[in-house]
Amino acid sequence: MNFYVRRVSFYLVTLWAAISLNFLLPRLLPGDPAAIMLGKLRRANGGRPLSEETIRTITSILGAEKGTSLWDQYLAYWGRLLHGDLGVSSTRYPASVAELIGAALPWTVILVGVATILSFVLGIAAGAWVGWRRGTWVDHLVPATTFLQSVPYFWLALVLVAVLAVQLGLLPIFGGYDVFEFPAGPEWSWAFVGSAVVHAILPAATIVISSVGGWLLGMRNMMVQTMSEDYVVTAEAKGLTPRRIRSRYAGRNAAIPSLAGFGIALGFVVAGSIVTEQVFSYPGIGKLMIQAVQGLDYALMQGVFLVITLTVLAANFLMELVYGFIDPRVRHRG
Amino acid sequence: MHRPRTRVIALIAAGTTALALSLTACSPSSGDPSTRPLRVWSGSMTPINNDFNPFHVDTATHLTFGAIYEPLFFFNQLSADPPVGLIGDSYSYSDDGTQLTITIKPGQKWSDGKPLTAADVVFTFGYGSNVDPDMTSIEATDDTTVVIGYSTPKFTAASLILGSTWIVPEHIWSKIDDYMSETNQQPVGSGPYKLKAFTDAAYTVEANELFRDGAPSVKEVQDVGIDSNQSSEDLLKTGKLDWVGQFIANPDSVTASGAIATMNQQQDPTVIVTCADAAMGCTGAQTDPAVRQAINVAIDRSTIREKAFAGLAGESSPAFALLPRDEKWVSDSSLATSPQNPDAASAATILEAAGYTKGSDGFYGKGGTPIELDLFSPDGWTDYNDAAKLISEQAAKAGIRINARTVSEAEYWTPISNGDFQMAMYGLTQSLVPDPFSNYDQYFTTLSSAKVGDEPTKGQNYSRYSNPVVDAAVKAAGATQDEAIKKDAYASVQTEIARDLPYIPIVLNASQSFFNVKDFTGWPSDDDLYAAPLPYLSTASAIVLTHLKPAK
Repeated sequence: MNFYVRRVSFYLVTLWAAISLNFLLPRLLPGDPAAIMLGKLRRANGGRPLSEETIRTITSILGAEKGTSLWDQYLAYWGRLLHGDLGVSSTRYPASVAELIGAALPWTVILVGVATILSFVLGIAAGAWVGWRRGTWVDHLVPATTFLQSVPYFWLALVLVAVLAVQLGLLPIFGGYDVFEFPAGPEWSWAFVGSAVVHAILPAATIVISSVGGWLLGMRNMMVQTMSEDYVVTAEAKGLTPRRIRSRYAGRNAAIPSLAGFGIALGFVVAGSIVTEQVFSYPGIGKLMIQAVQGLDYALMQGVFLVITLTVLAANFLMELVYGFIDPRVRHRG
Repeated sequence: MHRPRTRVIALIAAGTTALALSLTACSPSSGDPSTRPLRVWSGSMTPINNDFNPFHVDTATHLTFGAIYEPLFFFNQLSADPPVGLIGDSYSYSDDGTQLTITIKPGQKWSDGKPLTAADVVFTFGYGSNVDPDMTSIEATDDTTVVIGYSTPKFTAASLILGSTWIVPEHIWSKIDDYMSETNQQPVGSGPYKLKAFTDAAYTVEANELFRDGAPSVKEVQDVGIDSNQSSEDLLKTGKLDWVGQFIANPDSVTASGAIATMNQQQDPTVIVTCADAAMGCTGAQTDPAVRQAINVAIDRSTIREKAFAGLAGESSPAFALLPRDEKWVSDSSLATSPQNPDAASAATILEAAGYTKGSDGFYGKGGTPIELDLFSPDGWTDYNDAAKLISEQAAKAGIRINARTVSEAEYWTPISNGDFQMAMYGLTQSLVPDPFSNYDQYFTTLSSAKVGDEPTKGQNYSRYSNPVVDAAVKAAGATQDEAIKKDAYASVQTEIARDLPYIPIVLNASQSFFNVKDFTGWPSDDDLYAAPLPYLSTASAIVLTHLKPAK
C-alpha cells in the first residue's frame, strides 16, 4: 500500500508545480497581450480611435491589470481555475477558453486516442510475430514499416487524400463529419456517428501508418532478447506448445518496456496531432494550440498547456499503477 | 483466454469496414441546384466563432458583414461609378464638408419584422466604436433623413462612414450595454440573409423574406470552415464547394471541367517597406533616398512576377493609384508603372552620383562602409519569401548587398509596427473608392506615422516617411471636393513619393476567385464587374449573392 501512497503524494506535488509554472510562464514572456489585442482592434477598426470603454473592457478581460502584485494575481488565478474559468481567448474574442477546449477535446481524444491504441496493438502483435519468426521473410516488415514512419507525414497525408479521396472518391476530404449533410452540427443519430467514423478513417490511418514502425521495432527486439532467456528454454524443454510460449512466456515479458512507452504516448494524445488536424481540417486541440501561438493568444495557450500537462500527468500516473500491477518488482524498495 | 478477444477485434474491424463501405456508397451528391445551398469558403478556419457581432471586425463570422448586417452604401472597389445605395438612397455634403445629409429608402424592415427608420441610423452612429470624436451633432429630421454635423471636413471619410459602418437595430442594441463582449448569436439585420443554423465547422444562412428588394434567388448559403488551401482546392474539384477566393498556382486544373470559372483581380500593392527617415529614428543605408532609388531600378519585376507570383500578379504603380480605375488622378503618365526590367547601369549612376563607390568585392559602399541591408518576410508566405530571395539576387548584380531572411509571423509584425527594422516585404491595402486619397493619407503622411519605438496610432505609415510637401498636399486634397485642386495636390504627392520611394513598389497582388458557373448564374464578369467576386470581402460578397440565380 505504501507504494501507492508515495506515488499519489508525488503526483500531487508535481501537479501543483505544473499548474504554478503554467501561471508563471506567460508572465515571464516579453510582450503585452492586451496591447497586442488593442493594436489589432484599432487596425481592424479602419484606424478609428477606440473608445475609452473598449480599452477598459479589453484590459480587464485579458488580465493585464496594472498595479496588482504577482501574489494577488496568483491567488486570483487559482480562484478562477477552481471555478473552471480559463479566461477569454483573444484570437477568438469573446469566446471563452474553456468552451473552445471543451468543443475540441472529444474529437482529439477519440481520433488520436483510437489511432494511438490501434498503432500500439498492431505494432506489438506484429512485433511479437516478427520476433518469433526471426530470420524468415517476415523480417522485411521491419524496414518496410520504419520506412513508412520516415516518410514526411504531411506528404503521406496529401498523397493519401489525393488518391483515396479526390481520385477515387472513397473517403471524405476534410472535416470531422459531413458538414454538408449535417448543417445543424453534431446530433445523436446513427447516420451522424457513421459520418464521423468515415471521416476519421483517413486521418487515423495516416497516424497509424506513420507510427506503427516504432512499436514494431521495439517489440521485435525485446522479443528476440526474451526468447533467449532461460525460462523460455525451460518452457520449451517442458514441451509446452509454441503458441503458449510465444504469448504467455516471451510475449508478455517482452511487452513490458513498450507498455511504459505507451503510457507516455497516451499522455500526448491530448496534444493532438497538429499536422493531421491541419491537413484534414479536423476539429481538435492541436489546432487551437497552433492558432494560439501564432496569434499570441496567451489565455488560450495557457488553457491548452494546462490541459496537456494534466493529461500527461494523469496518463503517467495511470500507467505507473498498471505497471506496478503487472510487474511486481517496481513495488518493492531497492 | 486470448482467442475470443481476437475474434471481437476482428468483428469490430469488419463492422467498421462494412459501415464505411455502405456509407461511402451513398455519399451525398451536390444535389439539385435550385434547392441545395450554395457552399462557400470565405477563408474561415475551424473552429468558427459563434459570433455575429458586427463590432467584432476581426473575429465575427464572415457573412455578418453584408449578408446579415448592411452599411448604408456599397462602394465598388473595382469601378469609378458612384456608390450603390443599400439601406441608403442618397447622400450629400455641405460645401465645407462638415455636414452630411443621408436619406434612406422608405418602408424597410429588420428581419424580425420591425420597421427600419432613420432613428436606427442615428442610434448606430452614436453607439459603441462607431462614435466619431469629430461628430458634433446627429439628428433624424424625418423617418428617412439623417443629418450629421462634424467639426472637420469629412469628404474623404465617405467610404468609412457610409460604406463600412454596419447599421444595427436600435430596439435590440439599445439593450446591450457591453457591445464588445456581446456575441449576438441571434442576429437581427437588414441584409438579404438571416442566420439559419450554426456549428463551429460551418454555418448556414437562409433568404430573408423581408429583404427590401425581395428574398434573393439563392435560398440558402453555407459558409464552411477549412484549414488548408489544399482541402478547399480538392473540394472545389470534386464539386462540393461552389465559391472560394484563394491562391491556386495552376488554375487550369480546377477550371478544366468547365463547371468552375475563375477571375483574377490585381489591386493591393506588394511593396518593400523601408524604415525611410533617419530624422524619425531609422538607421541603415536605406534611409538614403539614393539607395532606395537604386534598388527600385535594379530589381527585375517581370521575373519576380513570373517566378514568385506564378505570373498572376499585376504591374505596380509608383504613384500608388489603381489603374485604370484612378486614371483621372494620375497626371504624369511616367508614374503609371514601375520599371519592369532591371537596369544595373542606372542604379550605378544613381549611387555614384550620391557618392558611393564600388569596393573590391563588387558591392557599393560609402566612406569604407559597404551597404548591407536586411530584408525580411514572414516564414511560410512563400510568394513574399521567393520575391525577397529574387530581390536579393538582383540587387547583388547591381552591386547592392541585401540579405533576405524569414521570420515567424509574431516576429514579423512587432519590428514593423515599432520601427525597429530596415526593410520588409509588405502588403498595402488599396483604397476602396476610385480615389487614391486613403493610400496617401494612411501610408505617407507624418500624422499617420510615429517615431521609431512608438506604434502609429492613427494610420499605418510604418515607413516613418515624413515630408511636409506631402502632408500639405494631402491636407488640401482632403478639405475639398474640387477636382482640379485635388488633382494638383495628388500630382505633387505622386512626384514626391515616386522620387523618395519610402515603399518600393514590387507588384500588384493577385486575388483569384473560383466559382461554380454550372449550377449558379449571375457572377461578375469582365464586362460587368458590379462587385469583386471574392467571398472574403465584406458587403461585396453579399452583393454577389443577391445577383446569383440557380441554373435551371
